[in-house]
This record gives sequence, C-alpha cells and structure tokens, in this order.
Amino acid sequence: MKKRIVSVLLAGAMALSLAACGETAPAATTEAPAAEAPAAEAPAAEEKKEEPAPAVEEKKEEAPAEEAAADAGEALTLNMWCIATESDSNRHSYEAAIADMAANHPEITLNWEAFENQSYKTKIKAAVAADEMPDIFFTWSCAFLGDFVDAGKVYCLDDAYKAYASELPEVMMGNSTYGGKHYGVPLTMNIVGLFANMELLKQVGYDEIPGSYDEFIKCCDALKAANIIPFGCAGKETWCVTEYLESVIEKSVGADALNDIFLGRATWNNADVGAAVDEFQKLVNNGYFDPSGAGLTNDEVKANFMAGKYAFYMNGTWNCADFAANADFKDKVKVSEFPVINADKAKLGQLIGGPSDTLAVAASSPNAEKAADYTFELGKLICHYGYLDGCGLPAWTPYGDTSGINPLTQAVSEICAKADSYVLFGDTAMSADDATTYLSYVDQVYGCAVNGTQFIEGLASDIR
Amino acid sequence: MAEQVKVNKPSKQRRKRDLILGINIFLFLLPALFLFVSILIAPIVVSVYRSFQDWNGMSEGVFIGLKNYRKLFSNSVTLNFVVALKNSLMLAFFSVFVQLPMALGLALVLGRKPKGERFYLTVFFMPVLISTVVIGQLWLKIYNPDYGLLNSFLKLINLETWTHIWVSDPKTALGSIIVPTIWQYVGYHMLLMYAGVKGVSPDLREAAMLDGATAGQVDRYVVIPIIKPIIRVSVIFAVTGSLKAYDLVYILTGGGPQKLTEVPSTLLQEQLFLANKYGMGSAISVMLIILCFACSLLITAAFREKDK
Repeated sequence: MKKRIVSVLLAGAMALSLAACGETAPAATTEAPAAEAPAAEAPAAEEKKEEPAPAVEEKKEEAPAEEAAADAGEALTLNMWCIATESDSNRHSYEAAIADMAANHPEITLNWEAFENQSYKTKIKAAVAADEMPDIFFTWSCAFLGDFVDAGKVYCLDDAYKAYASELPEVMMGNSTYGGKHYGVPLTMNIVGLFANMELLKQVGYDEIPGSYDEFIKCCDALKAANIIPFGCAGKETWCVTEYLESVIEKSVGADALNDIFLGRATWNNADVGAAVDEFQKLVNNGYFDPSGAGLTNDEVKANFMAGKYAFYMNGTWNCADFAANADFKDKVKVSEFPVINADKAKLGQLIGGPSDTLAVAASSPNAEKAADYTFELGKLICHYGYLDGCGLPAWTPYGDTSGINPLTQAVSEICAKADSYVLFGDTAMSADDATTYLSYVDQVYGCAVNGTQFIEGLASDIR
Repeated sequence: MAEQVKVNKPSKQRRKRDLILGINIFLFLLPALFLFVSILIAPIVVSVYRSFQDWNGMSEGVFIGLKNYRKLFSNSVTLNFVVALKNSLMLAFFSVFVQLPMALGLALVLGRKPKGERFYLTVFFMPVLISTVVIGQLWLKIYNPDYGLLNSFLKLINLETWTHIWVSDPKTALGSIIVPTIWQYVGYHMLLMYAGVKGVSPDLREAAMLDGATAGQVDRYVVIPIIKPIIRVSVIFAVTGSLKAYDLVYILTGGGPQKLTEVPSTLLQEQLFLANKYGMGSAISVMLIILCFACSLLITAAFREKDK
C-alpha cells in the first residue's frame, strides 16, 4: 500500500512539474501574434513596405526597462552575427572597428559571432523564420534583405540615418532602401575584378592584361600551350561561377539588358544572353578552366591562384586585401575589368557589383533604437578599416590618411572612377527563390549540361 | 449459472485497486506521452499542414493544395526529387548488399574469438565515433585531385589514366559518397551483429561441431538464423539511414556536380533555407517520413514472410 501511495505521489509530482514548466508557454504564445501581425495585416507588398516594422513598437513595449536603461547610458549588451571569419578578408576591419567601438562606448558590450559565408545564408534565414535574430546582423542588400523587410523583421533606420546622412551618401543606401525607407547600413562596395598573375602572363609574352577580347583569347591559348591553366574557378561554390558568367553576359549584352533581367523587368528569354552563355561554355570547352576547380572551394582556388597555378582569377575585389597582404604575391598581381565581347551592345566601364555588404538591425531587438545608432557608427568604422585594408571601396565618405592604401585597391578605385554602370551580383539582386533557380542553371551551364538556349528558356519558364 | 457469474465478478476492492493501478500507469506515462506528442507528433502534423502551403517561412502561408507534391515529381533543373530519391535508394542498395554483409562477416570472424579481438573491434568501430564532418574532410583530402591520397596512389602504381576529380566528375561523384558512407557505418552494424553473435549459446556451436559442421557451416546454419532479428534491425537502420543521409553528402559534394548527387535531405535544406520555400521543404520532409515508415514496414514484413 505504501508503495502505491508513493508511486501515485511521484507520478502526480512529475505531472505537476511538467505543468509548472509549461506555465511560461501561454505568455510566449500571446506575444507571438504581435510579431506576426504586420504580415497578417498587410496582404499587399506595397502596404507592407510602407509599414514595415510595427513589430518593433510591440517589442519596445515589452522591454521598457531595458530600453530606458540603455538610454540612460547604463550597461547594455548587443549581439551581432557576421561573416568575418578568421579566413575572411574583412576580419581585421571588423576587429579594429569593434575595438574602437568598445573604447568609445564602454557601456555597450558587443557579443559577435562570425560564420562561413554559405552556411551563414542558411543560418540567418532560419533565425529570421524563427524570430531568433541577433540585435545586429550582416546581410546582403537588395532582394536578400528585401525578403526580411517584407516580412517585417528588420528595423527601419530612417531616424538613425539622419545623424549620418552627411557622411553616407543617399545613393549608397539605394540597395537597402525599400518603399522609400532605409533598412541597412552599407559597408564597402565591391566589383568583380579580373585578377592576373603577371609573372605567368610574362612567360607567354604579355606585360599587361589584354584589353580586347580577341587578344584575351589569344593570351589564354598561349597560356594553355605553355601548360599554364588560364582560369581558376571554384565549381563547388556556384556564386564563383557567376563571377565569370555574369561578366561574359554583361560584356556581351550590355549592363542595362542584364540589369533589367535581374530585376525582373525583362525576360530571360533573350537570344543575346543565350549566345553569351554559349561563349562562356566555349571558354570551358577550350580547356581554359582548371578541371580540378570543379571540386574545390573558393578558398582552395584562391590559394592555388596565389601559389601560381592559374593566370587569371575572376572574383570580388574584396580579395585585394589578401593579395596585397601576401608579400610573395602582391607584386605579381594586377587587376582589370573583363574585356568587351560585343562592342555594339556593351562597353568598358560596365561592371558587376555595387554596395551589397550591409549591416541591419532586427525589428525584434529590445534595444533596436540604440542598436541602430550603434550599427551606423560600427558600419562607418568597418568601412574605414576595410578600405584601408583593401577589402573594397568605401560606401561612406573616406576620412583620415588613405595614402597607404594598397595599389590593387587603388587600381579598383580607378576602374570604378571610370564606371559607366553597375549591375548587382545576380544572386543578390534576385529573390531567394529566383536566385536558387538561377544558381542551379549556372551550375548546369558550368558542367555543360545545358547550352545557352536551354539556359535562357529554362530560366524564362522557371523564373516568373 | 447466476452463481458462477457472481463468483467470477471482481470484488469492489479489486476493481478499486485496478483503477488506482490504471491511474498510476497513466500518470507515469503522461510526461513521456506529452514529450512524444510535442516533440515528434506535433512537428509532423505541422509539416503536413505546411506542405499544402506556399510559405516563405516569414509571412503568411497560402494554401495551394497538392501543388508542392506535384512539383516534387515534375523533374525540373532546380528541384529533381526523383534523382534525389534514386541516389538515396542507390545508397540504400549498397548499404544493404555491401555494407551489411561486410559487417556480418566481421562480426562472425570476431565472434570466433580471434587473437586481438578487442583491438579489431575498436579499430572497426572507430569511424562511428568520429564526427561526420571530420570524416567528410578526411575523405575530401583523400579525393583531392592535386594532392589526394587516392590519385597519388594511382600515379604511384602507374595507373595515372585512372585518376579522377572524384567528387566533381558526374561519373564518380555518387560513388565518392557511397564509399565513405559504407566505411563509416560498417563498424556500427558490426557491433550490433557482434553482440548477437556473442549471445549465441556455446552449447549450440559445440553441438553443431560434434555433428561434424565446419566453422562456416556453424555460422550459416546456427548463428545467422539466431541473429536474424538483429540483421533485420540493421537492414532497417541501413535503409532509413540512407534515405535520411545528409551530412556526408553535403560536405563531400554539396549535391553537385549539376545536382547529380542530391539526396532528399540536401534538397530539403536547399528549399528551406536557400530558396525560402518552407512549404516545399515541408512536402519533402513529409515524403521522407512516409518513405522511411514504408521501408521499415516492408522490411519487417519481408523478414516475417521469410520466417514463415
């Protein structure tokens, strides 16, 4: 009998403890509709963009004490996620900027974590879906950030921007402006550059990067004949293939045509684009690309390029920092823009790139207002140090002594100074769904599983 | 007759005792039931519900009926579920017909108490203990086209024409995933079967030996029939594990080249977190649950049929 009583008591206690554990649940569920409200109340995209962050108001009400404490200059902790991993070119600029911020704002503790580029895209989207974003997060502008803004998950920075408008030109905010409101702090801007190992080019009689496409092809043939691989490209990371493919398309059909396609203003079913894709496949089939590159990551391909395995490497100009920091390599490398393929439609100065790297503030942050100010100040410093390091051109007005900037970044500055127009990277310009479709087709093109016609027809039917 | 019924009828006290016992059992099971429903059943129900929606994970979902399921089998460049499923089944085939026989062979040999039994047991089981990420990186280094062990070895024995870019050649990519998968989990199945082999009574072995059976015949006619339930469990684990395979595929090929090594789980990850198509991702996860469940039932039924 005793045993029975004890067992009943034990079972009751267990059931009660479970019930007690669940007591906080109702509170959480009552809060949830508030965060979801904007999306539910705003069926039309336009309406959503006009009223993007009412969730912030809800959250602010939930944490008045902490907000007040922050306003009073009391201790505050902010969390940040970014992609400045140990091996990332921007690592130093983040570290230096965060150290400056710690000195300028001792009351604010910043806990920051860096994740590898590709996995970060998964992580941040999962966090946004689960409403578990950090206060400040790195993002790519245009459609990538746009999806989060549409869902009402990003804090509007209009109020905070006023204090920094003189140092951060409105034009640089364009890619993170939705419905006339600003949602991101741009850091640096980058373009796709054609990096060349001049030591290898000299071996086949070239002192400069060929300026015309015909000459460029001759140079590739000469390199191949000398057993030097012309291009290194990481097939395992499809965005690296787009750096080549988009440049070939842009220099064949022109920047406006490509931009219209990326932004959904024109169809993919464009014969000129198909021909450009065939031209790109000709480069692949001619054996200009390292066949091993198909199984390598970008870090491995970059290391191979710096080790002298390839003559050319087309990638973002953020690489200037790493190239310039390598004592053995910095004097061998030069940067240029990809030559024009069809002079009737494209011209020099039409570039792939623009301000894309951005910091944004989560609408769910209990200290969103304070975090917004902090983000602008931090963004300015990251931009400053990034520019000095050669990680890209500044989105902010440069200040201080910039005479020590490496020659590669200066060369990029000169290219940008002559720029006619920019087309943002395709996978950034398009929505997540369209970008995934686009990258799948790019992967097929690189593997020569589809030709130019199949590429344009497939994308025209799959991307609406 | 009426008297007999009266005799069989439980007393009031006994009924009360049974009731208390029932309440006891219910209360003890309640926490586990709650966890089971909230952690396993509820997410499945939510996934099924979401699979009928076009939902980007952030805004409101729109009900679209079976459209996600129809699209799954539409064979497009972006989403080729049929190829992914075929790859998983290929993996399952090799797991069942290569990995499990290897594991059984090792278990039977080790069950005969050879010299260094413990040492071999540890060595074969070691890959199971190593993180899959580490194993993936290890095999990537083995497959590396420039300095990889495999190509270097082939060059060393004058088979340079056999060298490949293993993980990105469409002809060898899937095989490059199958080999490490088999290697990694051979030890796991071996250990399960080894435990079964060790559980076979020595008397049975001795009796068979006295009847003139060889060691091989003892294994074939005595040991294997006895450990059949364990083999069934291993087959279920191997098949469902192949259908759910993700980590090694993601690390070695990421589903490439040209999506030729995609498996349902990598497709699911892409649809959920890269394309923001949570509705489609849910449809894939529902298909995975159904497939795993169906395979388990089929395997169980097949073994039962054989037993008859």
